[in-house]
Amino acid sequence: MLSSRSMQAAFKFAACQHSPFVTTVRTSALKASATYQIRSAATTSTTPVESIPAEQSEAILKEQRLRRPVAPHISIYQPQLTWYLSSLNRIAGVTLSGGTYLFALGYLASPYLGWHLESATLAAAFGALPLAAKLGIKTVVAAPFSFHYWNKIRHLVWDTGRFLDLKGVYATGYTVLGLTALTTVGLVLM
Amino acid sequence: MVLDALIRIKNEMDSTLTFRRSCREGICGSCAMNIDGINTLACLCRITDESRGATKIYPLPHTYVVKDLVPDLTQFYKQYRSIKPYLQRKDPPTGKEVPQSIADRKKLDGLYECILCACCSTSCPSYWWNSAEYLGPAVLMQSYRWLADSRDQFKEERKQQLENEMSLYRCHTIMNCARTCPKGLNPGLAIAQIKKEMAFNG
Amino acid sequence: MASIFRTPAARMLAMAGPRSLMKQVATPVFRPAMIARMNVAPRVGVAAFHTTKKMLIFPAGPQVIEGDVNTPAPVPDANPVHGSYHWSFERIVSAALIPLTIAPFAAGTLHPITDAVLAATVVIHSHIGFQACIIDYFPKRTMAGLHRFMRWFLNGCTALVLLGLYEFETNDVGITEAIKRIWKA
Repeated sequence: MLSSRSMQAAFKFAACQHSPFVTTVRTSALKASATYQIRSAATTSTTPVESIPAEQSEAILKEQRLRRPVAPHISIYQPQLTWYLSSLNRIAGVTLSGGTYLFALGYLASPYLGWHLESATLAAAFGALPLAAKLGIKTVVAAPFSFHYWNKIRHLVWDTGRFLDLKGVYATGYTVLGLTALTTVGLVLM
Repeated sequence: MVLDALIRIKNEMDSTLTFRRSCREGICGSCAMNIDGINTLACLCRITDESRGATKIYPLPHTYVVKDLVPDLTQFYKQYRSIKPYLQRKDPPTGKEVPQSIADRKKLDGLYECILCACCSTSCPSYWWNSAEYLGPAVLMQSYRWLADSRDQFKEERKQQLENEMSLYRCHTIMNCARTCPKGLNPGLAIAQIKKEMAFNG
Repeated sequence: MASIFRTPAARMLAMAGPRSLMKQVATPVFRPAMIARMNVAPRVGVAAFHTTKKMLIFPAGPQVIEGDVNTPAPVPDANPVHGSYHWSFERIVSAALIPLTIAPFAAGTLHPITDAVLAATVVIHSHIGFQACIIDYFPKRTMAGLHRFMRWFLNGCTALVLLGLYEFETNDVGITEAIKRIWKA
């Protein structure tokens, strides 16, 4: 390690000496990584510099802004109970509402499309399914419903201002998950 | 701290690495970035053990990137300016201080310490999707800081400013903000207080 | 406590092994990060390296800022109908649904009126929820046309759904009874 550091310092020392206006002074061997640069008073830059008026610099900034990339978000943000439960709540709600909407629209359209969506037909069709399918469908319906139900209560409690510190958020979050599991099992087995 | 590692990389490996930093003690808010998936200040974030694998450092999520780890926070600052973060009074100035009781001053604890690092706002998914119109947790918490200040007399006007679909009500209590604040503040709670005040006090 | 949600190691691409003490900087799109090792000269060129693919999830449009950093962001006009009244209404509907979803099932189908109230409240709740999703994911600012279309589509769907559920209530047994029968089938 020590030898590579002094080798690195040697490379740096060698690489530092570009400009004729800058003198590099090597310090003692013990402080091998420090080099001091002395610049002479009259230094001129070799890069051409032009002055532009303020409006033009604004225009350049606007152009630059249009080309800027956006930093990654969902793909890199750490999975946390906070936003995971919140997105799960929304997905559950959209699933339940979407299903209800589709059913109601389907029921309205069924005479024109020749479908049979009366409760008697649906009950009979559901009853005819194998047990695994029945339990599967029941879970798919009961789980989002239970989760959304308990999480909505959690949201209403938050709206009163209670349990809104970090401990409260996590405690209520785990409680909701536990209650969801229990309720889903209960509903499925009913 | 991670900031030391970044400075070392800049000094010894790649001097073109660009990031903002200033105080190196967690009070200026310049070095806010996303380290290992969490928005925090690089000068307060400890370097994890080597055996955990490499640490990933990203700029603040869903910000427009100027270069490397430097985000463009212009919109954030404009939004902060729009909530008028200064004392506004209707009474003419008396030449003396405006008195405030100890209890009233206590209400500002947990609100005034914000360093406007933008960690919370850029951790909020609602701010990711709507940063132009939703004010974000940092600015809303400062808005509440002025709403809760007993010396401020423009409470109604401040509330009216938030009476629209987007500025305040894009908050869905996701609470990523409180989780990520490097100073331990709770913007989510402040926003809930604003919503309560707006609903029940006009 | 929440450690199952906080395992940065598991989410990392395990980069270099224990030999290098690197911090890698991942830049969004085009800048290659330099990986230098301790015992190599500083001037090293490395292949372009990205830790994440460029995933365009809900892609943000190009950055447009009105005015400069010293002008405040525009404040929209105050309209409590879209503001606090909407919020309060939403909470009232949600709070009403808590007993309303449980009661008909716990006490048996009481009355077609309760059933109708439940159906209507569920539809209103769903409508408000969908509206929130549209405002979040199809912002009016960047997608004005699509936003308006989605809103009207939602309004149309809600109206049809209300009609459909009315039909279901009158021609059929009502939703609580239907759910009970299907569930126990």
